[in-house]
Amino acid sequence: MKNTQLLTSLRYVLLGALTLTTCVVQAESIAITNATVYTVAKKGVLSQATVVLDNGKITAVYRNDEVPELLSVDTTVDAKGRILTPGFIATNNLLGLVEVGAVSNTRDSSDKKADITFDASLAFNPKSTLIAYARKGGITSSVVMPYGGEKVITGQSFVVNLSGDFDSVVMPKNAVIASLGSSEKGSRATKLQTLNNELEDAQKELTNNEKVKASNKKDNEENETESPSRADEVMYELLSGDKLLIAYADRATDILALLKLKKKFSLNLVLAGASDAVLVSDEIAQANVVVMMSAIDNLPSSFDSLHNSLTNVAKLTDAGIKVIISNSGESYNINQLRFDAGVAIANGVSETTALAAITANVADSFNLNSGRIAVGKNADLVLWSSDPFEISSKVDAMWINGKAMSLKSRQDALRERYTAETNLPRAYTK
Amino acid sequence: MLKTSSPRNLITSDPDNKSTTTLFRQFDHKKNVFTLITTSLLALGLTACLPKEKQDAKVVINKNPYPSTYQALLTESTLLTNATILTGTGERLNNTDILFVNGKVAQVGENLSAEQATVIDVKGKWITPGIIDVHSHLGVYPNPEVESHSDGNEMTSANTSEVWAEHSVWPQDPAFQAARAGGITSLQILPGSANLFGGRGVTLRNVPSETMQGMKFSGAPYGLKMACGENPKRVYGSRKVLPSTRMGNVAGYRSAWLAATEYKRAWDKYDRDYSAGENPEAPKRDLALDTLMGVLEGEILIHNHCYKAEEMAVMIDLSNEFNYHSGTFHHAIEGYKIADLLAANGNCAAMWPDWWGFKMEAYDMVEENVAIVDAVKNSCAVVHSDSATTIQRLNQEAAKVMYRANENGFALKEEDAIKWITANAAKSLGINDEVGSLEAGKNADVVVWNMNPFSVYAKAEQVFIDGAKVFDRLDEKYQAKSDFLLGQQLDNHDTNAVSLTENISVNNAATKPASKE
Repeated sequence: MKNTQLLTSLRYVLLGALTLTTCVVQAESIAITNATVYTVAKKGVLSQATVVLDNGKITAVYRNDEVPELLSVDTTVDAKGRILTPGFIATNNLLGLVEVGAVSNTRDSSDKKADITFDASLAFNPKSTLIAYARKGGITSSVVMPYGGEKVITGQSFVVNLSGDFDSVVMPKNAVIASLGSSEKGSRATKLQTLNNELEDAQKELTNNEKVKASNKKDNEENETESPSRADEVMYELLSGDKLLIAYADRATDILALLKLKKKFSLNLVLAGASDAVLVSDEIAQANVVVMMSAIDNLPSSFDSLHNSLTNVAKLTDAGIKVIISNSGESYNINQLRFDAGVAIANGVSETTALAAITANVADSFNLNSGRIAVGKNADLVLWSSDPFEISSKVDAMWINGKAMSLKSRQDALRERYTAETNLPRAYTK
Repeated sequence: MLKTSSPRNLITSDPDNKSTTTLFRQFDHKKNVFTLITTSLLALGLTACLPKEKQDAKVVINKNPYPSTYQALLTESTLLTNATILTGTGERLNNTDILFVNGKVAQVGENLSAEQATVIDVKGKWITPGIIDVHSHLGVYPNPEVESHSDGNEMTSANTSEVWAEHSVWPQDPAFQAARAGGITSLQILPGSANLFGGRGVTLRNVPSETMQGMKFSGAPYGLKMACGENPKRVYGSRKVLPSTRMGNVAGYRSAWLAATEYKRAWDKYDRDYSAGENPEAPKRDLALDTLMGVLEGEILIHNHCYKAEEMAVMIDLSNEFNYHSGTFHHAIEGYKIADLLAANGNCAAMWPDWWGFKMEAYDMVEENVAIVDAVKNSCAVVHSDSATTIQRLNQEAAKVMYRANENGFALKEEDAIKWITANAAKSLGINDEVGSLEAGKNADVVVWNMNPFSVYAKAEQVFIDGAKVFDRLDEKYQAKSDFLLGQQLDNHDTNAVSLTENISVNNAATKPASKE
């Protein structure tokens, strides 16, 4: 390690210690009053409602006729009728794993050696400048999905909040990622076979281990069972349905093959990409599989994606499929998730469905205690100047785990420097 | 203002234009090299001893060898009434009508009437000039993104001024249709940015056509794509050839311009001597230098991929060193740092609202970049896409700038922001005499939006190019489809089949192994 790097690391350790101490301080209790609350929950949309946050959680959601006369809270925020939504949850990005795409030293999203055990959450950088910028789009947490390795199973995803704190990895290794479909070299068939075979082998081993265990019990003997490898342990989690499988696939045949695997191995499956899912929407709906897709990719970018269309989200939701709208591309502009949802609305999706597609649907799929405004949920909330999907609106306030967040990013610092009145060189404007 | 204040006047590319005899070498396609050589040999042999040689036929460079064959589609006089019109000249006109006749804007005003015009009441809707994207790779990096169609970057030498993007355009790229549905009526197709000199760009009308020529914007100046910064040095540095550094980049530009200066001098001398009645030998043609000479003569406009403030400043000095205009800076992530310099030098800057971070040179993005560049007097701020996806919503790209800037002290209105994707874009491309604003006499490139185009919910409902309807969201007749997508989604089951046996034979044919081809 170079000296400078060592110094930097030390600084981070010190900073970390400081931040951790501040984290221990309990978040104050806040009442957000007079808000138009999009709960994305049973209560629907409430006007002039009050939401109470305490100790990082939502502790009360009052309709306007339910608000008690006295609210004993540390702070009251008058929303003045503005819209309050759950914080948005981004998916399918490399947030905190890549700072500058073309600077290889700042890329921690992939590794040739990566396999099913690849845990990129260890590389997550909560101080990445992309995080503060993403908050401007109302995003409070993200399912980060690294590229991983070159095998069919590329690694595992993880969940973070966008607090920028050192403890912002909420769930490491929360799902296994597989990548199917066409590739420049080889056949898509091999990929499907590999995935099937690996699952099959793991299942056999699991059954075998159980048999050995059972016979050990019966015979009171200590027959040796090999302790499973780290990779096997993850496979077992997949087979038990405890761990989600996110599978990238676009062509309908690959999607159908995945649905078969889901049935055969009782997998907990999320389809990602899914450009041609509209061709097999009934099958996907019947299998109760969630689809994670872009709302703006509408070009036939490959022979696997001839049915890309702006109306796909609407068609799939109409077919009864739960859709997660995710960004396309890398992580720099994930704050535009809300505009993508807006484009989906302009193309036939209801406002409620579009909102769920970037909040509750993600939370439900990944078992997150967020994505809704309801008692007991994490206090991840966004107060909007107006319609959250509109380009004209902005985030007026944001809370993550009940703590108010800054909405400034490095971009603001640059703008302020170059628009300030000064007689000195700009470098003196800080 | 661009130094070449009216670049369109300098164009000799229109074969029908016989008036431009003095400024430039004339277009002449009838001569061929063989005749020229034989004539010159004869001339030498017969007249060497005379005080004044008999002159050979003059060698002229055909500057328009792939001429536009674009024709406006069926056009009829149209009167759109009761719209909110953003003219592209900085005006917003409420409850206003627009009449176009013979493909041109005839009138913009209240309570217009016209005999024999199709009248469409568009009350509640908004009208803007056709949207122009100055930076696109449609057709050269088309969809599907297959190797066979990856024709946008001639990455074989740092200077490929000899290549022309128009020779790579696949007119069946389905993205042209998608862009049209987003209101795009004209667009410049550029080569990629791997090279210091990437080659010529071409401006197209966004109409369906089987040929590139059928889309070509007649009379639009060519662009020359140049690239600063990381791309050229990365691509060629990895091959251990110049450039591997930014100083190598600049050395590469300077060497090329030196050669171009010599080339131009040789042709100027040839012209001069020939005009003086001598019989000089014509310089040897060089395709790459033809293009660079076109820039030195002010006929070809520079479109320079350049992100960083310090590099744009060097590119401006470079242009002064070799006496050409540095044109439009594309991407210009750091345009806001040198907004005054750009305006003073008459550069357009074509920018994204917020695309950033993928390279070091794209790290210093601010969302107000376009607005800051725009705020200086005599500026030329443009919003571009460089993307087959965002080209479909360039209106929303401009909207992002407007709203973010207004949150931070600006007071921009729709009538200001629309210029970034219409009038200023037209200026950057040198086509502002024809398109980019809704004024009497301009080409009737018109978009009717279902609502304020700066909304996320806005959609282009009708698009007109030269007065002809080329897209209608509510009428399938006006929704073109690429050959590529045709027949891809056929139903294999034919319930109206003539007979069972015929179906079987079709199925058999389909399962036969493919032939060698």
